[in-house]
Formats: sequence, C-alpha cells, structure tokens
Amino acid sequence: MAQISSIIRLSFRDYSHEWRMSGCFILALASVLAPMMILFGLKFGIVSAMLEQLIENPINREIKPIGSGRYDDAWIDRFRNRADVEFIIPKTRALAATIQLKSDNAKRILSAELLATAKGDPLLAGTASFPKDYHQVILSQSAAKKLKVKRTEEIDASLARQFQGKRERVHLPIRVINIADATVTSRNVAFVSLDLLIASEQFKDGRAVTDLSWGGDSPAATERIYPSFRLYARSIYDVEKLVNELEKEGVKVKANVAEIATVQSIDKNLSVIFWIIACVGAIGFSFSLGASLWANVDRKRKELSVLRLVGFKSGRIVMFPVFQSIYTAVLGWLLAVLVYLGFEYLINFFLAPRLNLDRALCFLLTEHFLWALGMTFVVAITAAILGGARAAGIEPSEGLREI
Amino acid sequence: MTIVYKLKNVVKERLIDGVGFRLVVPDIRISAKENIALIGHSGCGKSTLLDILALISKPDELDQMSLHPVDGDSHDIAKLWESDKQSKLSQIRKQHIGYVLQSGGLLPYLTVRENIELPRKLLNLPDDDSISSLSKVLGIDRQLDKLPGLLSAGERQRASFARALSHRPSILIADEPTAALDPITAQKIMAVVMEVIKGLNITLITASHDWAGVYKMELRTLKQESEVMNEGKVYQSRFSD
Repeated sequence: MAQISSIIRLSFRDYSHEWRMSGCFILALASVLAPMMILFGLKFGIVSAMLEQLIENPINREIKPIGSGRYDDAWIDRFRNRADVEFIIPKTRALAATIQLKSDNAKRILSAELLATAKGDPLLAGTASFPKDYHQVILSQSAAKKLKVKRTEEIDASLARQFQGKRERVHLPIRVINIADATVTSRNVAFVSLDLLIASEQFKDGRAVTDLSWGGDSPAATERIYPSFRLYARSIYDVEKLVNELEKEGVKVKANVAEIATVQSIDKNLSVIFWIIACVGAIGFSFSLGASLWANVDRKRKELSVLRLVGFKSGRIVMFPVFQSIYTAVLGWLLAVLVYLGFEYLINFFLAPRLNLDRALCFLLTEHFLWALGMTFVVAITAAILGGARAAGIEPSEGLREI
Repeated sequence: MTIVYKLKNVVKERLIDGVGFRLVVPDIRISAKENIALIGHSGCGKSTLLDILALISKPDELDQMSLHPVDGDSHDIAKLWESDKQSKLSQIRKQHIGYVLQSGGLLPYLTVRENIELPRKLLNLPDDDSISSLSKVLGIDRQLDKLPGLLSAGERQRASFARALSHRPSILIADEPTAALDPITAQKIMAVVMEVIKGLNITLITASHDWAGVYKMELRTLKQESEVMNEGKVYQSRFSD
C-alpha cells in the first residue's frame, strides 16, 4: 500500500512537473474526443429527433378505412386491446359530424368537423385534459383563430336538422379546454367526446337526446353500429401487419405504406452510416490515444528504471504510467466536455433558429458523457498497462544508462 | 574477514552493434568494508558487472552468487534469479544496496531532499536528522529544497551519493560517478564519500577508468582481460582477482 501511495504521489509530481507535455497529451485527447462528442450530439439531437418525429408522427401510423362499414363496440374493443394498436375511436357518418360554432369575439358562424377524441389520442399527444362530457371541446388552431377564442373561453355550438317538416336548431354551451397544435390539422375541427359525436348524429337522424333534452323520436333499441373509425398503430413497424389483418377481415383500408417504407429505409441507412462513422472515429480515437500514451511510457523508461533501482517492484512500476494515463483521461475528457458544451451552445443558439427548429439540434444525455469517460478510461488504461508492462519487463540496467 | 559477495562462473552475453559481447567472472569474493574498483577501458563490461552486483541485471550463466550483508541475513542470489523471485531481489536491493549512476539519476520532479529521502520512505524508516547531517557532510545542505535541474553537475552527483547512502546500505555501487566532473571536483567528492563510507562501514564497489584516482584512494582493483573470439564475432571480457 505504501508503494502504491508513493507511486500515486510520484506519478502526479512528474505529471505536474512536465505540465507542458501533460498539457499536450490532454489537448491531443480532447481534440479527438470532442469532435466525436459533437458528432454524437448531432446524432442524438437533430438526426434522432427528426427520425423520431417521422417514425412517431401519427399521420404515418394512421390506418384509414375506405368507404363505410359496420363496426360495433365489441369490434372496436377487440382492436383497442391489441398491443400493436395505440388508439382507436369510432366515427359517425361524415354528414352528421359537423357542428356550427359561434363565439362572442367573432361575427361569423364557423362550420367545424366533429371528431371524437379521448385520452391517449396520438393526434393530440401532449394534451393534458380531454373532453369528458358534452360541454368540452378541443379546437384545432385554425378553428380557434377564426373564432378568436382562447383556452377556457365558452362558445356556442349549434346543430340543425329538418324534423317532421320543420327546421330545428339546438344550442349547446361548450368550453374550450385546449387548442391543438397547428401541426395536428389545418382543417376546422372540434375534438369532442364520443358522447357528443353520437348525440349529434342522433339529433340529425331525428332522434331524441335525453341527456341534453333534445326532442325527437325515441332512440333505437338496437346496438350502435359505427360506419367508420380512427385507428393508429403503435409504431410504423406495426402498420403493415395491421393493414393485412384488417383486409383479411374484409375491411378495406389505406395507410402510408410507401412513406413508411421510406422512413424505415432512412432510419436504417442513417443508423448504419452513423455507426460506421462512430466506429471509425472510436477506432481512430483508440489508436491515437493508445499511441500517445504508449509513446509516453517509452519516454518514461529511464525514470521507471530509476524507480526500480531504488526498490519499487515491477508490478508497482506499471502503475506509474497507468495513473498518469488516468490523469490524462480525466482531464482530457473534462476539456472535451467543455469544448463540446461550447459547441452545443453555439449550434443550438445560433443555428437552430435559422433552421426554424423548435428543438435542440445538438444534445447529449448524462449517460452519454459517462460512456465517453468510460471508453476513454478503458483505452487509456489498456494502453498504459501494455506500455507499462513492457517498460517494467525491460531490465532496468538498459534504461538507466540513458539518464 | 567477512565476505559480503561471492561470485563464481558468472556469464552475461549481449549483442552490441552486431558483435557479441561476453562478460565472464570466474571467481570473485568481496569482503566487508572493502573498497573495490573495476578498472578498464570503455565497453569492457564494468557497468554490466556492476548491474549484476546491484541485482538489476540477470546473468545468463551463474554457478554461484551470494550476498552476505554485515547487518542482515545471507541471500542465495543465484537461487533467487533461477526461481525468478523479482520481488525478493527488489527487497534485497532496496535494503542493502545503494547505487550511484554516472549521470546521477535523480528524479527531476522531486526536490533534492525528496530524492534523498525516497529510499528511506520505501523502507518505512523513521525521519531523523541523518539526511541533514549527510547533506551537510556532502556539502549540499543548502540545496535540499531545489529541483535537481537547478544544481551544478558536482552538486547533482553529491545528491546522488546522498540518496544512495541515506538508508545506510551495506554496499555502495557507483558507476563512474565522477566521469562527468572536472578532476578537482571529482577528487573532492570522492574524498568526502570515502570518509562517509568509512564511518558507516559500507563496502564500495566502483567502476572507473581513472587509474590515478583509484590508486590515490587505495582501492583494491579487479583485473580485466579482453580477448576477441570466433573470428572477431565475439568480444570477451574477463574480470578476476
């Protein structure tokens, strides 16, 4: 133990005594590691985020039924419970799924498409609350702009029908609980609860909606059948299988299969390209660091021989360059992290706004920094042990004559 | 008289510039408190023999080699080399041998004091005033807190002697310690060193090509003979009493 603590002390004294040379080693390490970290940062920033957006974009995962079908609640539930289905919700007939909206802030009455929504709707990902009853709505941005309304404001919704030869209109006060992102849709859409969508269809079909005291014929006693649905696969990799299974059941559907193939190909090819670059970089980094540390051990041969002469054991002598490599690894990594953080700031602060991106172009997670440190340690210590073992294996008498 | 070193049929071979070099030591016995000089021209194997005596170079052939320090147990060095007991050899070297190189061999990143203290620290010897008194005798007491790079060649060599003597070894090995110094400084240093080792009962084994200096210090010399063998392919050097 006394010899190890002496070796730690001596190796540090030598390292700080030769601060110019040590500085060069630290700079050499940082100049190889920092660009790799920036490359990783860009991969995990822009490339991954863009790919993720492409992969996760619900539009690419949507499977749309063609034409009208007959789907009961059991059928919908069967698909809802599948692991490869993220979200499914029934749709009513398109003609019955329109509503007129009016706010105090705008003169015009806006005709909006009604779409049922619920918790987990990928179109409204990130939304905290969803319409729970007849009196709540999430408006598309286009609809909200035209109605000049903001979140929490109340608007008037109305439905009209021709019933028993007379034109009837019912009004319903509804509160805007949220406004969807512009990226969700450019259409005028009112996302409402399934109950309101069904109530709208019932009303337009001339039936009564007792919950809302809307008069009409008695509701049908038979089980509700929906003509359509909105379905999103869990990931783009599930789309093809779902399309095949739906078609087997006689449901004609369409999906962005061609686009999905493109996205999958981009994902695969970019990943391959990135890993090739990363591997070449890592190998270059290992050789560069290994060679410089090996050269350092060779340079230290004379002093290591003196240490053996005064009584240090060979095994302890190996620790001398190992500790110096650890100092270089830690300080070089720290410098590389600082350089990386500087570049990360420059890229995200100056470049991201020019590209109209609302996310960081370049970023790394804490575990990525630790991975870089671990890799640096492994390479540095391996090179130092190999070099140190060689130095310790040489007869000290050979090294001594060089002093 | 007590014998400290016994060597019999020791051979060390090397290839230098394409020519084989063969050092042969048929039989040498070195007694305690005896001061020995290996005399010979450059390249005759003086340093190689010193390295063998200092246990830092393994002979290629070895019938007998034993060390009998005056203040410790005897060690069968031949057996230790044969069984490759590096750790034990290192321990013996650390405890009983002090080594002075021609260039001093001080570690440049430690102060003179730290260099001198290093062998004592490795042996866990307690701090006492021996370093101060030794430095004073050797005339480097004012240089103790300086780095070796700031010292003159003579001062560096004095510091090197101080490091080699600081842990009171039984044997002091010095490889042409004054070769890089002017004759007056060399003489002064060796005179002081001889006084110190006399007081500490240390055996000195040194290599030198300074015949005059060796005779002045009244050192016992080991004879060296050279011969060229195998049509000039092997240069053999033989040291004997």
